[in-house]
Amino acid sequence: MTDPEKETLAAEYALGLLEPDELARCHALAEAEPAFAGRVERWRRHFCEIDMTAPPQPPGADLWARIESTAFRATAEQAPAGTRRAARFKPLARLWGSLAAWRALGLVAAAASLALALGLAVLVRDVGRTPTLVAVMMSDQNRPLAVVNAFRDGRIELVPLEALAAPEGKSLQVWTLWDRSRGPVSVGLLEAMRSIEMQVNGLPATIPDQLFEVTLEPAGGSPTGRPTGPILMKGNAARTDVGS
Amino acid sequence: MTAGDGMTERRAELAQALDGCARGDRACLRRLYQHLAPQMIGVAFRLLRRKDLAEEVVHDTFVRIWEKAGTFDPARGEPTTWIFAILRHRALNVLRGEQRIDLVEDFEPMHLAVDGADAEAMVIALSEAGALRRCLERLEPLRRQAIVLAYARGLTHGELAGRLGIPLGTAKSWIRRSLLSLRQCLA
Repeated sequence: MTDPEKETLAAEYALGLLEPDELARCHALAEAEPAFAGRVERWRRHFCEIDMTAPPQPPGADLWARIESTAFRATAEQAPAGTRRAARFKPLARLWGSLAAWRALGLVAAAASLALALGLAVLVRDVGRTPTLVAVMMSDQNRPLAVVNAFRDGRIELVPLEALAAPEGKSLQVWTLWDRSRGPVSVGLLEAMRSIEMQVNGLPATIPDQLFEVTLEPAGGSPTGRPTGPILMKGNAARTDVGS
Repeated sequence: MTAGDGMTERRAELAQALDGCARGDRACLRRLYQHLAPQMIGVAFRLLRRKDLAEEVVHDTFVRIWEKAGTFDPARGEPTTWIFAILRHRALNVLRGEQRIDLVEDFEPMHLAVDGADAEAMVIALSEAGALRRCLERLEPLRRQAIVLAYARGLTHGELAGRLGIPLGTAKSWIRRSLLSLRQCLA
């Protein structure tokens, strides 16, 4: 990677513009190169000035009580108060910090998976991360444009394969159809294709052959609650190995 | 006392509070909250446009600070930058993740002109003495606005391309070039 490429990657990371795959690349780079982590920090420091222009807002009356109850309850479960991060653990904490500042920030997921690995949940998690059903959404010219992954726990995620943005004044709306008598149901609305978890609250679990499609709708979504615009891509769900 | 001294003092105070959190001193988390919560809610609200979600993100951020304060290294970063990076990371996850649809329903339709004025107001609110304002003002207005909107409103490349009426690839390279000009000026 050239120097300007690294610089823009660091800047886009600090801006919050990176897609999940670029984000992963960025984390790897910051781990390998403290100099890169330094670039990110410099950009963050500059952009943080913009944060300071946001009008402050008074916290709701119960916010601190809620923070206290979550944060300190979790601590009490880990270790008795006061012994947390005792002196002999300090060097480890410092090492983590010095590897790169970003580790503390972006790697929420890594910390979560470490915690799970320490329990016995690692197998469950791996299975949980593998979709049980997958739908590849194709254009009318049979070009794969996006993948829909359905997981055992009911979550459904959309992963774009090609960049596609709605023109001004339009939105992309994701629909699913599992029962013709019920008709298509909206599970997501976006301005440009990106990795996103679909809204499936209250919907039955995905089944084989369930249809997923994306249509072009007026900004804010179809006014009728049913697809009104052209179908940009569609595909049917099929079982993966772990789904059986 | 000069403004510079005030900054150094504030930095030291925040770093000390983070160190206290790492040692399990609950009063230190409370001190950070008293100093920073209103500003943090303001930042999260600007991204999410909903007070309840903004408070939720601030809640999660303070829990995270409590858990991770030991990984903060004052030799490598500013306390404020570290805290606001956690906040922004969580707010962007909410903005781009599961809450997206609810948010879209609450969005007023926004247009380029409105966004542009919004971004310019943020630039004007920046310190006149600061390098960031001087360097942003050197960029063409649309480029300046794109960068500010990406940061403060969490707009994605795709959303910026849509607002600007240019293809996604063009928007990406355009923003990268703007960031490099900004870097040169800030250096």
